[in-house]
Amino acid sequence: MKIVIADGLHEADYLINLFNRRGNNLIVINRDEKACHYLSERNNIPVIHRSPVRENNLLAAGAKGADLFIALSQNDIKNYVACKTAKQLLGVKRCIATVVNPKNVSLLKKLGVDAVLCATYLLGEQIHSSASLDSLIDSLSLEDDKIQILELRIKQDDEACGKSLEQLNLSGIASISCVYRQDQGIIPNGKTVLQDGDKVLLVTTAESMERVTALFRRKRS
Amino acid sequence: MNGNVIIIGAGRVGSSIAALLNEQNYHVTVIDKNKDALMNVEDFTGYFEVADASNIEVLQRIGIKNADVVVISTEDDDTNVFLTDVCHFVFGVPRIFVRLADAQKERLCRYPSVRAILPFLLSLDEFSREFQSAVANAGSRR
Repeated sequence: MKIVIADGLHEADYLINLFNRRGNNLIVINRDEKACHYLSERNNIPVIHRSPVRENNLLAAGAKGADLFIALSQNDIKNYVACKTAKQLLGVKRCIATVVNPKNVSLLKKLGVDAVLCATYLLGEQIHSSASLDSLIDSLSLEDDKIQILELRIKQDDEACGKSLEQLNLSGIASISCVYRQDQGIIPNGKTVLQDGDKVLLVTTAESMERVTALFRRKRS
Repeated sequence: MNGNVIIIGAGRVGSSIAALLNEQNYHVTVIDKNKDALMNVEDFTGYFEVADASNIEVLQRIGIKNADVVVISTEDDDTNVFLTDVCHFVFGVPRIFVRLADAQKERLCRYPSVRAILPFLLSLDEFSREFQSAVANAGSRR
């Protein structure tokens, strides 16, 4: 994969390390001279000292037709324009931007950035999800929060423990995609019975979230 | 068209346009991050707001949905490109003018409702015309 990493410092460093290992074609471009030296020395790779918001700079860097373009600066607008330039003018296939302002997450997605990441936004989601359900291990939002994927642990005192999927009656509100039990992934059917210690991977919609969490929150009386 | 014009960025270009349109009796709203920008616009009788237009709530508040024309003229090309896309894709503004210093960025703003204003190229055009006519005149003087 041809991957372009634009701006950023510690985030860029981490990603360079990650992607360099898997033998990808990595292009690193950064507008800040100190960052260029830092990244170049730490990772022993060339770093292009140019601003990623200009078409000719990205062309000179060899970014044309890249599979992935990641914009990591602290300026949401610059990240947006870099992504737009990469996609529209250089034929990059997929672009990712980090943003500082959580309100820009949905805005940039709407404007065509494929993935938009914001630490504060994700933090808010984590807090929100964990507040609603204490057996929640992890959660993931897709399609602008309309689809929720939840990872839950089943405990002995849960009402759902010992019930089959059929008995849980999730029809129309959720779909259990996978049950992870004793280091094995099981694709369940209606007859599968949930046991203490099971990790359940569940897909639901924003509208049904409350009903689903209510169901799994119930304890045996 | 009701003549509702919003001008984002009251620098040299934005404030000249604001003054011009104000004089022509359009309903002009100017928005700029800097409160001193108003001093650039002489005899301005329109509405002026000090705010950061890159915040979408600000745009909603100043009535971007009712704008017939938006002129985007901040000092930063990238902010202008971003605002153009917001005005076009999010708010569907029917006519957008965007000031760009860098001609390369013009390719990012090619939509039917958007017209890029490149002050450098405009001045170059104008200079070229002046120069041609000066040369023509010089040639005919014997």
